[in-house]
Amino acid sequence: MFGSKSHKISIDHDLYERLEKAAQVAGYSSTEEFVIHILETTAPAGSAADSEEEVRKRLQGLGYLE
Amino acid sequence: MSSDFITVVSGLPRSGTSLMMQMLHAGGLSAVADGQRAADVDNPRGYFEVEAIKKLKEDSSWLADAKGKVVKAISMLLFDLPPQHSYRVVFMLRHMDEILASQKEMLKRRGTLKEGGPTDEQMKQYFDTHLTKVKAWLAAQPNFKVLYCPYNEVLQKPAEYVRQIADFLGGELNQTAMMEAVDLSLYRNRNKAAQTA
Repeated sequence: MFGSKSHKISIDHDLYERLEKAAQVAGYSSTEEFVIHILETTAPAGSAADSEEEVRKRLQGLGYLE
Repeated sequence: MSSDFITVVSGLPRSGTSLMMQMLHAGGLSAVADGQRAADVDNPRGYFEVEAIKKLKEDSSWLADAKGKVVKAISMLLFDLPPQHSYRVVFMLRHMDEILASQKEMLKRRGTLKEGGPTDEQMKQYFDTHLTKVKAWLAAQPNFKVLYCPYNEVLQKPAEYVRQIADFLGGELNQTAMMEAVDLSLYRNRNKAAQTA
């Protein structure tokens, strides 16, 4: 699931409890699985964000954006 | 020209948006422009732009006076147009290689071409992704109607496109004058080619 490298992130206890409950209700096998699913679906894909940023830089260079 | 919609000329920079602005202006449509960006070697007949378009997120109140007129907004700025107005967008398309070559010349002249930036191939991909996103977004907006105009074909078959554009915008435009604007552009391009040959 984590590929060759994994990282730990600290989560506030109250937030973790909320996530734990939500994971149970949604039928996930673990809180970790639920959190990873949320992060995967909400984090922007690197290439898409880079692409948009490069277009923006180009348009700024041409004087069409501030 | 009185109408309840705002005409917008859009597309990527160097896709023929200024030519389309000249055509519509010649055809009788008032252009919303402030003249701040003066004509230069990249656009010898002027840009037909308004600086306020870059700050639409902060203030779009001026657009209320743009009904029945034409305003130029590059593709990325379409997302910022306020939803309370109706828009008819003439969206310019052009071969990506030509767009990139022309943009590069402009960047060099402006002194903003950066070393180590994306390659043409990467930039092509970025712009393709951007255009796909813009087209999908436009298709989902109930207050937008869009006419896609391929720049090279407009130059090759101006009569056909002038008719289409006039129909799209309500048919009150002076089509002969619009054709003359294309002819002037072709004349300039031929002169430029002769000088560099």
